[in-house]
Amino acid sequence: MDVNLLRAAAVFYLLATASFVFYVLLRNTASRAPTLILFAGFMLHTAALAAHFFQEGYSAVTQFQEALTFKSWLIVALYLVIQIKYRLTVLGAIVAPVVFLMTLAASAFGSATGELPPGLKTYWVPVHFTLAFLGNAVFALAFAVSLIYLLQERGLKHRKMMALLKRIPSLEALDRLNYQLLVWGFPLMTLGILTGSFLARIYWGDYWTWDPRLISSGIAWLFYGALLHGRITAGLRGKKAALLTMFGFCVVIGYFLWGETLFPSRHGGRFE
Amino acid sequence: MEKEIVIVGMNHRSAPIDVRESVAFENAYVRDALARLSGYPVVLESVILSTCNRVEVVAAASDAQTACRDMKMFFDLQRAEHGASNLEDHLYTYQGTEAVRHLFRVAASLDSMVVGEPQILGQLKQFYDAARQAGTVGAILHRLFHRSFFVAKRVRTETGIASRAVSVSSVAVDLAKRIFDRFDDKSVMLIGAGKMGDLMARQLQRSGVKSLMVTNRTFERAVAVAGRMRGSPILFEDFPHYLKMADLVIGCTGSPEILVDAAAVEKVLRERKQQPMFFIDIGDRRNFDSAINDIDNAYIYNIDDLKEIAEENLQGRSDEAKKAEEIVAQEVENFGRWIGSLERMPTIAALRSHFDEIRRRELARSLSGNLKDLSAEQRKALDDMTAAIINKILHGPILHLKKNTAEGGEEETLYVAALKKIFGLEDK
Repeated sequence: MDVNLLRAAAVFYLLATASFVFYVLLRNTASRAPTLILFAGFMLHTAALAAHFFQEGYSAVTQFQEALTFKSWLIVALYLVIQIKYRLTVLGAIVAPVVFLMTLAASAFGSATGELPPGLKTYWVPVHFTLAFLGNAVFALAFAVSLIYLLQERGLKHRKMMALLKRIPSLEALDRLNYQLLVWGFPLMTLGILTGSFLARIYWGDYWTWDPRLISSGIAWLFYGALLHGRITAGLRGKKAALLTMFGFCVVIGYFLWGETLFPSRHGGRFE
Repeated sequence: MEKEIVIVGMNHRSAPIDVRESVAFENAYVRDALARLSGYPVVLESVILSTCNRVEVVAAASDAQTACRDMKMFFDLQRAEHGASNLEDHLYTYQGTEAVRHLFRVAASLDSMVVGEPQILGQLKQFYDAARQAGTVGAILHRLFHRSFFVAKRVRTETGIASRAVSVSSVAVDLAKRIFDRFDDKSVMLIGAGKMGDLMARQLQRSGVKSLMVTNRTFERAVAVAGRMRGSPILFEDFPHYLKMADLVIGCTGSPEILVDAAAVEKVLRERKQQPMFFIDIGDRRNFDSAINDIDNAYIYNIDDLKEIAEENLQGRSDEAKKAEEIVAQEVENFGRWIGSLERMPTIAALRSHFDEIRRRELARSLSGNLKDLSAEQRKALDDMTAAIINKILHGPILHLKKNTAEGGEEETLYVAALKKIFGLEDK
């Protein structure tokens, strides 16, 4: 892992964070600058990842910091897509600090790379983690969009923060975007789990084992599935949907960050 | 030839509406009026601006005093068709720097009746274009107007002057825009036939809502209001059944009782699968239960809430106006520097007189030669046409020259030297 490139990207993400904060707080700043700074960081980030994959091949994500690097890269990429389509600059104010912390943490863990166990030298591994991470990244953005929704909603209900909230899109637009993210995120997560169980069959000999990592994924999958179902059939929307989206992501991220120390898993891609 | 900027005109403060109307220029006649203005020898460039709140002539003149007198006369003549009376009391005049400041303030909507209203810039552009097409815009007004557009843009982006709604109905529309992404698939229900409700419904219609339902205790009034606003009338007893079709509900009855309570809203929201609803309560009494605010996906603002926001915004606007005045002051200074640089440019004057001399010589030769049979009118037309040709030919080069001089680039000396050499200007 080229730590220097990654550090440079982190610096740009920090600058982008500052720029986004200025954008949100001050009325008179240009709206393009923060996104452009973020994009510069993204290019460096891309270079760091590309160099890494070039060196390590498809087994390049076995370590925690590698997972962080890849995941944060996906989040920025998705944000940029959303920004182009919806001009949701305010979302950047949440995304930029998060990816800054992720890349900073990744570069702090150093450049150690792990070896894939011999039984797992298959192309299914990158397919699996790419799908799973992409699903995660989509849900991360859904989390941020929900947060923005709640801010706008609160402002309207309590008649507060009028000037600041003008920069935020309407509740209707935010709710629709939130729904679309769920529609994209859920199939990605499903495919991630399916490819995972395929790998489990190869490596552990069974499609499903009651491993804590698998259980937490299963719970999150059921949760998001129920949420999607509720949105489609039962008119679940608005504040409740936003809160549930945020809760779902906490389940996903919670295990990723803390669960492992309590309930060790045999699943790879973590501190080994 | 030195040119000075002069503005003569009247606005909503200096003249009452009937006086303004009597001198207003209809779009179709602006061209004629500009031609008449060009008839005054000291008026070298001119733009006419005529909106419902102001009628002004912006000119670049060779002699400011004479131009002011001529332009006042021009207004009097315009007025004469509507029965003469002295306009002197209603007209203001600005010259030089003050004229520049005035135009910048107009463009930035600081001189508008509702400060910050955005239409004036578009109107300014439209009248500038008309003058350009009529051929009465030269280098000075070209620069002045483009500068004023730039100032307006700066004021709009750097201050919040235009971004704050100051009327109750525009505040409500602003709020609705924070709830709804688009209006063209939204329906409005207007309950009651108060004046405020009328205004609000109209404003929402202008914002592009799909449909409007109108209900009133007296059905005839509902029919009348609906007819006026292309809405559909609904029986008062029936309106609760139609509530689920309404995204925005305006309450504007004098009724002392609550017409829509929280339980009803909860039920309706279930029926509409929680599609958000916005209740706007602007009657003299509360028509909607304020507990609606506690229900998810329902939003309610009453007249006091809206007035409070409008007040705050108005306060904010005057703060922003101060910032805007500073921007205008800066830009006036910048423009003054540019005008100053013009005077230091004998090359342009020499270039102009060189071409003009050629024109006059050739014209005189033709008019005494094979064109000697032309009438006085035709001679005048020919004179105008040739002058216009010269102006058009020189427009680009002179603009370029002025731009470079204003920026004080190294190129300047190069161009000046080249021009002098090519046209032999130094001999004169």
